[in-house]
Amino acid sequence: MHILLADDDEDDCLFFKEAFEDIKIKTNLRIVNDGVELMNYLTRTGIKLPHILFLDLNMPRKSGLDCLVEIKSMKHLRDIPIAIYSTSASEADIEDTFVKGANIYIKKPGDFGALKKTLEQIVTINWQYHTSGLNKEHFLLSI
Amino acid sequence: MKLKWVSKAFFIKGLFVLSLFLLIFISSISYKHITSLTESTQLLVHSYKIQIELEQLMSYMKEAETGQRGFIISHDTVFLEPYKSAHERVNGSFLILKYLTAEQKEQQPNLDSLLHLLNYRFELLETSLVLAVNAEMNHNELDLNLRRGRDVMDLLRMQVNKINEVEMGYFKLHQRKYEHEIFFTPIIAFLLLMFTLMVFTFSFIKINRDLVVLIKSNKQLIIKTESINHAEIIGEFCTTQWDPETHRYAFSDNLYRMLGVEPQSFEPTIENYIKFVHPEDRKTVEESYEQTTKENKINPLSYRIIRKDGELRYFRSRGKAVSEGQRNITHIGIIKDVTQMHLNSIELEERNHALEQSIKELESFNRIASHDLQEPLRKIQTFISRISEKEALTLSDSGKEYFEKILTSVTRMRVLIDDLLLFSRTTKTEKVFEPADLNQLLENALQELSHDIEEKNAVFFIPKLPVLNVIAFQIQQLFMNLIGNSLKYSKPGISPKIRIECKKVMAQENPILKPLNHNAFYKISVIDNGLGFEQEYAENIFNLFQRLHHEKEFPGSGIGLSICKKIVENHSGFITAEGIPGIGSSMHIFLPK
Repeated sequence: MHILLADDDEDDCLFFKEAFEDIKIKTNLRIVNDGVELMNYLTRTGIKLPHILFLDLNMPRKSGLDCLVEIKSMKHLRDIPIAIYSTSASEADIEDTFVKGANIYIKKPGDFGALKKTLEQIVTINWQYHTSGLNKEHFLLSI
Repeated sequence: MKLKWVSKAFFIKGLFVLSLFLLIFISSISYKHITSLTESTQLLVHSYKIQIELEQLMSYMKEAETGQRGFIISHDTVFLEPYKSAHERVNGSFLILKYLTAEQKEQQPNLDSLLHLLNYRFELLETSLVLAVNAEMNHNELDLNLRRGRDVMDLLRMQVNKINEVEMGYFKLHQRKYEHEIFFTPIIAFLLLMFTLMVFTFSFIKINRDLVVLIKSNKQLIIKTESINHAEIIGEFCTTQWDPETHRYAFSDNLYRMLGVEPQSFEPTIENYIKFVHPEDRKTVEESYEQTTKENKINPLSYRIIRKDGELRYFRSRGKAVSEGQRNITHIGIIKDVTQMHLNSIELEERNHALEQSIKELESFNRIASHDLQEPLRKIQTFISRISEKEALTLSDSGKEYFEKILTSVTRMRVLIDDLLLFSRTTKTEKVFEPADLNQLLENALQELSHDIEEKNAVFFIPKLPVLNVIAFQIQQLFMNLIGNSLKYSKPGISPKIRIECKKVMAQENPILKPLNHNAFYKISVIDNGLGFEQEYAENIFNLFQRLHHEKEFPGSGIGLSICKKIVENHSGFITAEGIPGIGSSMHIFLPK
């Protein structure tokens, strides 16, 4: 399973990597550190598109929100499920990302156990099914 | 009003013409009357003249007779002298009579017979004189002759009387006609005079009354003018008048004052005025003037003025064309000195800008707080959880305890930040009021709190709540905070009983409700059987970071009730608290109906 993480924070990337190592599911994790790098990676020819993209909102050069808009405007990238992965969970951010087509909103947990649990839950979701039944009440993932 | 004046002018003119006409009429009647009187007098004089002449004639006849008689008696020729002269005089007298009666046809036959008789009488006298020379011889004949003479004399007298009578009759007829005429004329003349006098009196009263009105209007005009003058000074404005026919301006005194010069110290022309206008604005003012004069368009205008003393002022002008019927009488312009207003608005703009700036700063602070401040804390939490998990076996018991304490502090820090953010968001969110069913909002709140409710085994008593115009998510937050508090501060070991009440109250019935914009309120109370509090803290508990319990007993930020207060204030409502330690607490919110 191909997983792509876009996050500029080294520590978070470390937690993310460790969490996936602990999870029993076989995954292939790829990490990019900012929005520009993310877009360059996704638009490169011949790469395998990820099954799911974890997108931090607060990144240098190009913000997560800008990336979201760009991805959703591209025909071949439009269908990648996007999980917003952010420290804050302000109403405005949640509303904005929902309207712009993100699939789920995850507030970075402060507990490693919770992180593992969350990631496990996300990667096991059948996105095909989830997207069709999309509604705002379930947008913010509560653990 | 205008029509009234026009009709009044016509009325006065009409009165004048009528009076004039009546006066001419009276004059002509009087003239006629006087003429007729003169005529009558002349006629009388004429009659008397005839009468006198007739008497004269008769006396001459008598003189002739006397002379003749004297001669017959004395045969003295001296007596023949008066006789002869009498004959001539009688002829003269008759000629006068003939002349006097020349126009009276009916007198002519009478005169003819008089002449006949006169001639006959003189014939007889002549015969008598001839006979008297030989009186003894012709005694009988003379006697006869004399007797006949006396008869002719009688006839003469009768004839004279007849002429006289005719004359008198003529006179009397005229007199009657004249009297008939003169009987009515004075009455008519008098009535007309009275009428004329009435008309004059009426006109006088009318004119006098109009004059009073005029004087009063004039006085009011003076008062109005003065009021405007003062209003102009106090209100810092001035007026201009422009006559479309003469193309002349009139400036009010205050215009000059506003320019910093003596009233009426320069000729009121656009050229003179423009000298005071700021050079950059002159074109605009000139263009506006052109429009006013050529297209009859008066547009509002703002421009700057440099006063005589060099001070810069901001003027704003407006105009209006005043017309009577189709005709434009004048253009009135009002110019206001808006310098203070202008400066105020600039200041206000600056302040607004500063305010916007600080709002932006606050927003960025919020973003920093919500994201950047949270991040290190979250990482500390995560690292501690990693250590607890990975190094559980190598850590000493006290080390584990310290980590536990660090974790508690960090968690508390995060709660504080979250609550502060919530509070600031309650303050600044865009307020969208929509009708919302409060029952639904309460249910949502209970749903959110379901975990705690189940854990504490709480029991609720819920009435039917109204539909109100509110910011829905805030009211839901309000319910959550109030019920959350009731659950949190419940007595240990006893299942909390939370009763919610709702009733309508009138503003005047409740002293804390100031009837600002609303008369009726809904009073919604959340009453519990929890720990309660001392009533003296009832005010304090709504203040930011105010807490009645120790962190250890009841962890919290002390922001919850401050948020409640904020929310209720956002809805123009009020919130109060009542508490009895050990019994419970009641929170009352008042929302306008």
